[in-house]
Amino acid sequence: MTTLRTRPARSLQNPWLSRINKQFPDIVPPIIATAIFLVIWQLFSLTPGATLPGPVQVVRDTWILIFWPFFDLGGTNKGLFWQILASLQRVAISYVLAAIFGIGLGILIGTSKVMSKALDPLFQLLRTVPPLAWVPISLAALRQNEPAALFVIFITAIWPILINTAVGVKQIPQDYNNVAKVLQLTRKEYFFNILIPAALPYIFTGLRIAIGLAWLAIIAAEIVMSGIVGIGFFIWEAYQNNNVSEVILALVYIGVVGLLLDKIMAWIETLIVPQGQKS
Amino acid sequence: MSVFVAVDNIDKVFDLAGGGQYVALKGIDLQIKKGEFVSLIGHSGCGKSTLLNMVAGLDLPSDGVVTLEGQRITKPGPDRMVVFQNYSLLPWRTVRENIALAVNATMKDLPAGERRAIVEKHIDMVGLRPHADKPPEMLSGGQKQRVAIARALAIRPKLLLLDEPFGALDALTRGNLQEQLMQICEENHVTAIMVTHDVDEAVLLSDRIVMLTNGPESKIGQILEVDIPRPRKRMEVVEHPSYYSLRSEMIYFLNQQKRIKKIRARKTAAISRHGLEKVNLEIGFVPLTACAPLAVAKEKGFFTKHGLDEVTLVRETSWRGIVDGITGGYLDAAQMPSGMPMWLTLGGHENRPLPVATSLTMTRNGNAITLDKRFYEQGIYTLSDFKAHLHSTANQQHRMGMVHPSSMHNLLLRYWLAAGGIDPDRDVSLKTIPPAQMVVDLQAGTIDGYCVGEPWNIRAAEEGVGFTIATDLEIWLGHPGKVLGVREDWAAAYPNTHIALVKALLEACRYCANPANSEEVREIVARREYVSTDLAYVQIEDPNTSTCSLDRPMREYAHHQFYADSAINRPSRTEQLWIMTQLARWGDTPFPRNWVEIVERICKVGVFSTAARELGLDISYTRQPIKLFDGTVFNADDPIGYLNDLAIKRDFSIAEVVLDARRPLVAA
Repeated sequence: MTTLRTRPARSLQNPWLSRINKQFPDIVPPIIATAIFLVIWQLFSLTPGATLPGPVQVVRDTWILIFWPFFDLGGTNKGLFWQILASLQRVAISYVLAAIFGIGLGILIGTSKVMSKALDPLFQLLRTVPPLAWVPISLAALRQNEPAALFVIFITAIWPILINTAVGVKQIPQDYNNVAKVLQLTRKEYFFNILIPAALPYIFTGLRIAIGLAWLAIIAAEIVMSGIVGIGFFIWEAYQNNNVSEVILALVYIGVVGLLLDKIMAWIETLIVPQGQKS
Repeated sequence: MSVFVAVDNIDKVFDLAGGGQYVALKGIDLQIKKGEFVSLIGHSGCGKSTLLNMVAGLDLPSDGVVTLEGQRITKPGPDRMVVFQNYSLLPWRTVRENIALAVNATMKDLPAGERRAIVEKHIDMVGLRPHADKPPEMLSGGQKQRVAIARALAIRPKLLLLDEPFGALDALTRGNLQEQLMQICEENHVTAIMVTHDVDEAVLLSDRIVMLTNGPESKIGQILEVDIPRPRKRMEVVEHPSYYSLRSEMIYFLNQQKRIKKIRARKTAAISRHGLEKVNLEIGFVPLTACAPLAVAKEKGFFTKHGLDEVTLVRETSWRGIVDGITGGYLDAAQMPSGMPMWLTLGGHENRPLPVATSLTMTRNGNAITLDKRFYEQGIYTLSDFKAHLHSTANQQHRMGMVHPSSMHNLLLRYWLAAGGIDPDRDVSLKTIPPAQMVVDLQAGTIDGYCVGEPWNIRAAEEGVGFTIATDLEIWLGHPGKVLGVREDWAAAYPNTHIALVKALLEACRYCANPANSEEVREIVARREYVSTDLAYVQIEDPNTSTCSLDRPMREYAHHQFYADSAINRPSRTEQLWIMTQLARWGDTPFPRNWVEIVERICKVGVFSTAARELGLDISYTRQPIKLFDGTVFNADDPIGYLNDLAIKRDFSIAEVVLDARRPLVAA
């Protein structure tokens, strides 16, 4: 009986936190960790000779940007919302193109041994080229910032999609193929009933990796290609103007958006990938 | 019925990564009738799944053709639906959708409603109505396999192919599914081929069991017909008289394959030493009191004395093992029933004459005929009593056991029965049973009696399950019991080894025959590695000749005779000729027109004489006719006339038996 009496007494000490912890057990630990991180950061920035501002300084410097994300003063002088939206639009266009070409080529390579042998070395070579290395050549080829940025994102995002799709198609269990052969399924029936469902988990793995890489590439592309609206150029401009706090704020935004993109893809995956195929 | 599926002399060769080739299957020939259920059984890697895949069309033979109703199979098709071992259900489709995919894909010309009806009917057939809308991962292994079977049957295949369908299931589920499959197959007259590892499953489900030898170059080793009537029930099948013999046949085959694999892996070359061509010998024997000379030669060092340093005695549980060891070439020599060299030479084994020679008779006598104890209680003491009993119970099936068609037991038992006016094929039926199993079978009532070597007659008497109705004293005193047999090509290749072997065994025979040694010999023979029995059951040269009598002295008893100065160990042409007539009499082998040549080739008298002379044994010999208990004298000059005079016999044929084939050793 004593234990029963002490328990409610303990939870009464902090009823709000305990209820939160009970409802969202995944939230409290990261919040605490983040708080500790911020404190340590603040402490470091207070040391003599610190070059970067602490979190308090950052918020103090950038509160206008934080609270007014939607202002638009023309040119590249826009709120962070517009900056991010511009970047996201580029990502969306290139990513969709990368997905279409990547899945298409992946299926082609996965199903055809000849194509696989022919193209695999080329793709393995190209996929290791870092996004930044594509910038000069795409600028040289396309002559304009906007299409060049799109191309850089596209070329970065396509490889994981393509390679994962190809692996997924190649790894369709022989049993399923045997079933298809014995039943003499037509190409169309095979494609929709066996190939796509069997390869979907792999395709989505590729898509998730690709969205991260695409977001990564946009920053690189925009930093180099000056004079366009976008979060990448925003960072570069802030740096040029010695606004380190703005750079840090932008980094936080980039991180949050990247995280959200990944979560969205994961959520779409749960919607599309059929039952029994989730790894 | 005509042939439905024909596998016509197919080979399958796989190209290896290293550039070599692996011959998986060689010369497979198989015909399957409509409605038949055939099992393929064999060890892992023997190519049974490959064979199934070739019938399915998932794989193509390198040579030869597979046809279904006369059409060559070149690609997979829904008329040969496969039930895969791992179910192969599509995990993103429910039970119903999985079956529907197959039905929709293969029956495109049917209206959608009818296709749906087929799907529903088959869901019900396998009893999965409550699970129809679940994805496969929510089902148990047995349920998944039921879906796979329903999917296969739903598309009405001409031929159902099952690749270890129940391999991954627990025993209980497997049993239930086997019965279900059997029922479905019987109701729908399905023709099926099943690959399995499970001996019982094969017997339960199949009409025929095809056993494949080990790879490389697997071929069909044997085909068993399962004569158990349908519809079958598991418990009834187990009680069917054929069940255990089928089962043991399969297990024997599988064990034999394992051994051959081991022997192949060992690959011993002949070791020559001491002026002998080969001193590493593998000698086969069957655990019987008669194996005493071999056991003694090994234990008392007679083999070593004559230079045979590395003799291994190989214990076989049945004569069948000796036959396979000699024909397969992995036994150098073997203890054989005295009729076996003749039987092998005349092609008794699979109709392929294999010249086998004998140069030593190791034992005489030591056999007896035992009947079930209940006959004794009914007052049956003699052969004529037994005949009267058989006539009064002609409506019953009488079975008697013997150890091998070529053994003296079979020939003596048949002769004894026939001399008493009992036809050994019509009035009773003779079954081949390994010696050690006789007493158990007698006890179980599956046989009414048997003729076998000791210790199995004494044992039946001592355990009170049977009684000895006749011994060698009453049939043929001094008949040859066990002989030493070697392949003729072996004898030609290792002549000095052959003589040394005969010398060692002849000395061992003499050792056994010495009454002073009899206790020691008994002890050796009873050891685990030989007969492995209680010392009391091993009787050798016991002065008390009526050991076999039970509660009253009934039988005088002729003990094993291992040696005597009257050359009892000399291989006898007359005896071989008598055996030849008996084998022909019962239709086992034809009577050879060239019988003089055959007898001469089987009896290596020269080897025996050389051995005896080198041992300094004075072996005098006088040729005598054979006289058996019924008073008939066997005249060695006119065997065909003798055969014609016999009252009870089968239609025998006289044919030239050509013995020229010097076949290479198969397993070595």
